[in-house]
Amino acid sequence: MPRYYLAWAKDERIREKGANGGFVTATLVSALETGFIDAALVVEKKSVYEGIPVLTSNPEVVKECAGSLHGAPINLTKYVVDYGAKKRIGLPTKPCDARGIIEQAKRRQVNLDNIVMIGLNCGGTLHPLRMREMAADFFGFDPDAVVKEEIKEGKICLVSKEEGMGEKEKWVKIDALEQKGYGRRDACKSCVTKIPTSADLACGNWGSNDTQKTFVEVLTEKGEAILKNAIESGYVEIEEAPGEGIEKRKQIEAGMQRLAEDWKERMDEVSALSRSERLEFYVDALKNCIGCGACKEVCPVCACEAGAKCLDMNDARDSYVVSMYNMLRIFHLMDSCIGCGECEDVCPVDIPLTLIHRRFSERMQRHLGYTPGMDVKERPPLYETELRWSAEE
Amino acid sequence: MKVISSICPGCSIGCGLYLLESEEGEGKRIKILHRKNSAVNEGKLCEFGTHLHVYYGREALNNTADGREVEQNDAIEEAKKRLYGMKPEELAFIALPGTVTNEEILSFASLASEFRCENISFGFERFFREIPEEASYIIERGLPFSEVEKASRIILFFVDPFVHYPLLARRILKAKKKGAKVVEVAFAKNERGIADETVLVEPTAVAGIKEKKEIFENSLIIGELTPYTNLQFLELMMWLNASTASRLFLLKPFLNVTGAFLFGCGYFSKRKKDLFEIIDGIEREEIRALYLLETDLAGAMLGGEEVTKTISKLDLLIEQNAYRTVLSDTATITLRSEPFFMKKGTIVNIEGRVLELGGESEKGLQVMENMGKGRSYEEVHEEVKKRLGLPTLNEFVIAIKREERSFDMAEPKIESEIEGAEGEGYFLWYKTNPFFWCGVRNKNFVEISPAALRKLGLFRGDEVEIVQGERREKMGFKISELPPNLILAESKLSIKPFKGLLTGVEMRRADIKNKKIEKFL
Repeated sequence: MPRYYLAWAKDERIREKGANGGFVTATLVSALETGFIDAALVVEKKSVYEGIPVLTSNPEVVKECAGSLHGAPINLTKYVVDYGAKKRIGLPTKPCDARGIIEQAKRRQVNLDNIVMIGLNCGGTLHPLRMREMAADFFGFDPDAVVKEEIKEGKICLVSKEEGMGEKEKWVKIDALEQKGYGRRDACKSCVTKIPTSADLACGNWGSNDTQKTFVEVLTEKGEAILKNAIESGYVEIEEAPGEGIEKRKQIEAGMQRLAEDWKERMDEVSALSRSERLEFYVDALKNCIGCGACKEVCPVCACEAGAKCLDMNDARDSYVVSMYNMLRIFHLMDSCIGCGECEDVCPVDIPLTLIHRRFSERMQRHLGYTPGMDVKERPPLYETELRWSAEE
Repeated sequence: MKVISSICPGCSIGCGLYLLESEEGEGKRIKILHRKNSAVNEGKLCEFGTHLHVYYGREALNNTADGREVEQNDAIEEAKKRLYGMKPEELAFIALPGTVTNEEILSFASLASEFRCENISFGFERFFREIPEEASYIIERGLPFSEVEKASRIILFFVDPFVHYPLLARRILKAKKKGAKVVEVAFAKNERGIADETVLVEPTAVAGIKEKKEIFENSLIIGELTPYTNLQFLELMMWLNASTASRLFLLKPFLNVTGAFLFGCGYFSKRKKDLFEIIDGIEREEIRALYLLETDLAGAMLGGEEVTKTISKLDLLIEQNAYRTVLSDTATITLRSEPFFMKKGTIVNIEGRVLELGGESEKGLQVMENMGKGRSYEEVHEEVKKRLGLPTLNEFVIAIKREERSFDMAEPKIESEIEGAEGEGYFLWYKTNPFFWCGVRNKNFVEISPAALRKLGLFRGDEVEIVQGERREKMGFKISELPPNLILAESKLSIKPFKGLLTGVEMRRADIKNKKIEKFL
């Protein structure tokens, strides 16, 4: 079977509701209908700013969840860990979802045999409240009247529907927004994994000239099987992707990666500082930690539970300016942080955790020659994990 | 797997969150998820909110009458019959508004009037009695956090935002980033150094702050008001507010306290007794029946054991709650309501946002309505909306606004409230937080000064014993940069302050040897 396709849903309603021809929705629906999976983990849209993960075996619910939702940055990894143990689950995954799931599989929290990841190419997500501000300040829309959003070719589109005013559509270049402090989350701006190559399929509009066709890359046997299942059950149609489409997709990916590297430099407040200033930066940021533990709770890579070192070795009675909890988390994540920014999103005192973890993990991961979340066979290099693996084998 | 959009009941901020409920074996499992689209907290939660599943995992209360399990309708009928059997002046109704909706507050107030009871308390009544009426808006209404972020000068008046109201801290940090100057007026310097300037106050010389009135000019003063706040302390804050061109923002510990002010307001002026007076009334056996709505009275109050003892003097205790409390075994009738996250209804947060709960249950409200007017949820909800003047609800709108007014306030006389701390004594200051009010101990240590450590000859792993008359409590300790004689506690101890949250105590090294022997034996 070739590796690259253009694919679309045969059902017209799915094509209309879903993005780029509704391939992802149709594939999940067919997998449910045919028993290829027991449940689908999808994000139910509450508004353009809000989505709730739903584990469902009802194809109609999956159909309702079709379409993009860039304003609801949710990492699905921990949901898969919590609720996917006994079921065969299919889910759409951004690169950071797929990477998180792969890391959890390495830590024996997820059985990958039971998971089908339909990867989505991702230019980034937006924080919902920043998106509301953006709608008002940059687009001149009432945030509550925004009914649709789309990101395409470096532009973001908002559609507003105010009472008695009809629909208004406006496209703005993302770069222009981001120069003014709006746009994607910091973690997304600096993310270089744009195509989820650790998923089973990688889907998106990059490389497709037709808005009603999804460009699909088949990455694993499971990916091939779920695609075949969707075709054979009559939900999906495909054609081989043209060479220029494949090339264009590569170019888009490379361009986005260059932009991400640029952003890393632009957002790096630390490199230009002197040693003592750097220390001051870290202390100033981390001293505000209130010890809520939310960053650990949401971390898609962390698999430790109550006996975790970061909790065990931390004593609230210590008077350290920077707690052992933070120190240990930095050390622990140096080899495995995937830079998803979930920790920063939930930090109640706005510690720039994405930047802090990146400062340590990027260098370490480069040194180890290890990129977390990309290959389930590649073991985490930390000694303690190695020890656990060795003991079990 | 069911996802419910909910609000944290930990304090008056009202952080939005999701609860993910799933079946696990024979039970249900709750997981807390971050709701990033929440206008209040942007998906961020403090330690209490992050661990809310523990709070919701407590033992459920059953419907009982005289210690026997009964059907809910029978319990309701029994409660109604017995309440009618009491004289109105013998009755009291208490709801500390942590997990009660606006609809329930309306229903509760209406139920109290059904029994012609005027002793109804939401925990803050006495303050209204003592301050000028034109200043009551400061107690009744808070401010949007955008006002905190916009402030150019912030005074933290005996408030450590990181501990008392953690989700306020980021707003202050944001204001600082925009250039605001933060001044803290405190007994000890904030360990995280949030303030640009610290005005240290001696526990016995709080009145001295009056001499430094000029630092409050053109500021946003952030303080705290709890049922325990010393009235003179409140008057001092209000006087500083009135005599400088500043604004006073009082944070409060209970989620729907603003709703209680809005919907129980008529009762504040009419009420005969407030929370503490009701408890005194029970002690004196003038009040013989008490209806507790969603209130763990012994858990929420300092000196819980004494409260329990006082409550046992009642002829009739009706407890309506989702969970068992220390008083459940004492209660004559218990009425089971639903956990807060399952409720249908609205609350008003400290900013003035009217927030809707994502639950579907009307059980708690129906318990009261079945005993009283018999209205449906929709009828009560419509009344709430009508009173608020809101046809629709939107969390992104500050619906309950406050208008600053000028008022006259006489310079308050501040008496030292510290008794029993002369000579070698120490001062114990309670740093309240959501755990504190929910009767859950999250820290089993107190903070003491390096001077106290040296004086008591303490080593790591030792414990201190804090003594107040007959009361004593052994605790671990943490060394903080505090004045020599100050002790800070974030968890509730058996030590009860005389007034306010500051009290004189003695402290010594706990007898570790005995402890070790006990352990060994």
